[in-house]
Amino acid sequence: MLHRLESLESCNYNGMDVAVLEKQAAGLKWQQQNYVVQNSNLVDLCASSVPQFQGLFGSNLGRGQMIELKRPEVFLGSDDFQEFVNFPVAGPEFGDSEKLDLVPHEAAADYCISRTSSCQMTAHNTSVMKEEREDTILEKMESAIGSGKESFNKRKAEAVADHKSKGKRIKGEGESEVKAKCSTEISRDSSKENSKASEVQKPDYILVRAHRGQATDSHSLAERARREKISKKMKCLQDLVPGCNKITGKTGMLDEIINYVQSLQRQVEFLSMKIAALNSSVENLPMKEFPAYVANFPAAAKLPEMAGLPSYFQLNPLQKESVNCMLNESMLPPQTATEGIASASVSSSSGITQLQPFSAWNMDPQEHVWIYVRHGRYMKDEEPVQHTCT
Amino acid sequence: MYNPDHTKPGSLKSRFTTRFLRALSKIHAHKPISSSSPTEMFQRYQRIKAAADKSMAYSVRSRRTWSRAMLWKLRTRSCGRRSVKTSTIIKSQQAIMKKTRHEKQNENTTTTATTGEDGVGFCVEEDELREIVPGGEAMDLCNLLDETAHYIKCLTTQVQVMKKIADFYSL
Repeated sequence: MLHRLESLESCNYNGMDVAVLEKQAAGLKWQQQNYVVQNSNLVDLCASSVPQFQGLFGSNLGRGQMIELKRPEVFLGSDDFQEFVNFPVAGPEFGDSEKLDLVPHEAAADYCISRTSSCQMTAHNTSVMKEEREDTILEKMESAIGSGKESFNKRKAEAVADHKSKGKRIKGEGESEVKAKCSTEISRDSSKENSKASEVQKPDYILVRAHRGQATDSHSLAERARREKISKKMKCLQDLVPGCNKITGKTGMLDEIINYVQSLQRQVEFLSMKIAALNSSVENLPMKEFPAYVANFPAAAKLPEMAGLPSYFQLNPLQKESVNCMLNESMLPPQTATEGIASASVSSSSGITQLQPFSAWNMDPQEHVWIYVRHGRYMKDEEPVQHTCT
Repeated sequence: MYNPDHTKPGSLKSRFTTRFLRALSKIHAHKPISSSSPTEMFQRYQRIKAAADKSMAYSVRSRRTWSRAMLWKLRTRSCGRRSVKTSTIIKSQQAIMKKTRHEKQNENTTTTATTGEDGVGFCVEEDELREIVPGGEAMDLCNLLDETAHYIKCLTTQVQVMKKIADFYSL
């Protein structure tokens, strides 16, 4: 066994480390109670051999990597794994020396190799094992490497990010994906189609996911992040603006938002005009009570509103006249002018009748005026009216 | 029938209501309602509108760009001709901002990846939105949408309160 170990040691040591690490991780996952000692061994191993790992990840392993990865999959699925599990029961005997720590793992690797041909794996198991193995690898990497090796952390973070988002995609995707994933884990430049791009997980960085077929340079990533932010905000606005659920396009949404804001502003103007007109006939109320009063103003007593349109109100003839004059003289923008904000006296019994809309601009002050309502409904006074349409 | 929003003492609605009513009482006290000539009525309307906008902006406290812009606008308007110079300066600044924004947009359109998406601007509507929302000229689209959302929320509050006041007065 020892001479075989030596031969293994001599050839492709870098690859062996990875396989070793992975098998350790897999073994640990399977029977953790036996592996308390091995855990510490793993940590020691990792801590001591971090530079080696750095070199490992820095080099382009490619095929060698893939080959090494195969073995654990094959290995994990077999019943022989139980033997592997029981194998390092003698773990505590090995002590603290680095070389001795390697021995059980290399033996296990050797064990793997010998068992490769005899194992039969189903595709499903392979993928499942792959996932679990990667899970454990990454977990162990995270736990083991708590040191301040920044580049390694970065790669780990990338791997973690890659892995976490990959999730169930690994299932059924075959080894080419794994190979690609490994190559991206290792190499910093990922410009291939299947490659994933992620940024370092620092607090002020934004993690951006590039999907298949998308460019991965920093400009387009930033653009994509910006676009996603904007679409999120558009969705929020959609909730605020009533009646926007059916509209899907951005431009349509923006139009709707603009219209809504304009209508709200006009409403404010109209209401301030109304208050200015009405204020003259009412004495001022005590300030302390009023806010509460306004707050508790029952909704039922409110005059029925029509979809956010200005409500009608009562004015005595003099006020009506002044309001009308005010309208005629006012500097309201043409839009509000066409909407024709005017006042009318309303009797409570009169219903809302549907008539064609028109503006009140050319009306004689002595006449009663109509309220122009956006959707064509308006209040009508009972008294006869003469008016001119524009 | 009680609106639960109002029971919160520090809510936007209550802050706006108190301020606006205070302003109304001031206006009322300032000019007793003797004459209701159109010009006076119009002046009153202007004052009330300014008071409404001001109280809303003060209730928001300058946490938002639009409230700061609105307060600034109201102050400069009330100051009159003294601030003509500053207003022209500000306008030129805004023009510069627009120019740089358009330049940025042109740059981005050339460098954007071809994903078929509307990458950068909605140009016409965006500009319209900037005109409508106070202080919108000097913001990028992202922040502009935030400001618009908050502005809409405040406007709806304002409209609700003013409606209630007007209804109350009309009874």
